Amino acid sequence: MSEELESRLRAAFRPVAPSDEFTQNLIARVAADQRSPSNARGVRERSPKASAWWLSASMAASLLVAAGIQQHVQERRERERGLEARREVIEALRVTSQKLNLAYEVIKSQSSSPADDAPGV
Amino acid sequence: MTEATQDFSDEQLAKARAGEAAALALLIRAHQRSVYSLALRMLGARDLAEDLTQDVFMQLNGNLKSIASNTHLVFWLRKVTTHRAIDQLRQRARMETTPLDDETPHLSTVDGGDPLLQRHLWRLLVNLSPPARAVLLLRYQEDLDPSDIARTLDMPVNTVKSHLKRSLETLRQEMPSPEPSRCEGNST
Repeated sequence: MSEELESRLRAAFRPVAPSDEFTQNLIARVAADQRSPSNARGVRERSPKASAWWLSASMAASLLVAAGIQQHVQERRERERGLEARREVIEALRVTSQKLNLAYEVIKSQSSSPADDAPGV
Repeated sequence: MTEATQDFSDEQLAKARAGEAAALALLIRAHQRSVYSLALRMLGARDLAEDLTQDVFMQLNGNLKSIASNTHLVFWLRKVTTHRAIDQLRQRARMETTPLDDETPHLSTVDGGDPLLQRHLWRLLVNLSPPARAVLLLRYQEDLDPSDIARTLDMPVNTVKSHLKRSLETLRQEMPSPEPSRCEGNST
């Protein structure tokens, strides 16, 4: 029974040929596709839908890159401003320190001079 | 595959790869019966089978440089055809449920088989799941053994064997006996 069924299946499933017209069209289309420049370069042409998707994706990617660059520039500017302010504070402290030293020297010299100036008293 | 595919040599494949139009036409003529028959019996409609056959050969044309030999070519064609047909059937199942038993010439009657029997066989075939149908076709149309079917469909050999067993059991239970009197009695 099994062998009989299998032989009936093999007989029923023998390959069938498509119409000659279809074969001719198929050969012509494949040959035309082989001659097309996109095939010669090994590149598949994209459908309009796929192209639109690629365009949207590349625009989104460009926007993301631009936003990233903008943020990076802003952060760099803020860091430079901070460094400049730090330099100014240090300079101010240095000047203040110099003036304080000077004032200290003056006071010190004034406080020691009366004893030296009155030997005959 | 079929006698025609065996006529196509590796030398002719090399010529087709090099872009020789005559060799490419020979390649299509040698392999189209098998591709078209698989597509037709998987999808159940001539126009869908023709579209799929064309898509498969167009895809092959883009990948021809990666095909190493005629054996590789036959494997590639079977694999791509069955996988694409299964995908189409699954997509169609999600979208609609139109039965595909409108026609029956998808089965060969060259051996003088009973058309009623062929019709019945076709009805049984469309009730199988797409992978089970592909397994049955690769076994009895392409004459592949279970391990080759497993490689073609990317499924374990045991799954192939269980598909075959279940399909044959269903067919055995539901197939009418081949006596001519029975078929004649059923007609009209």
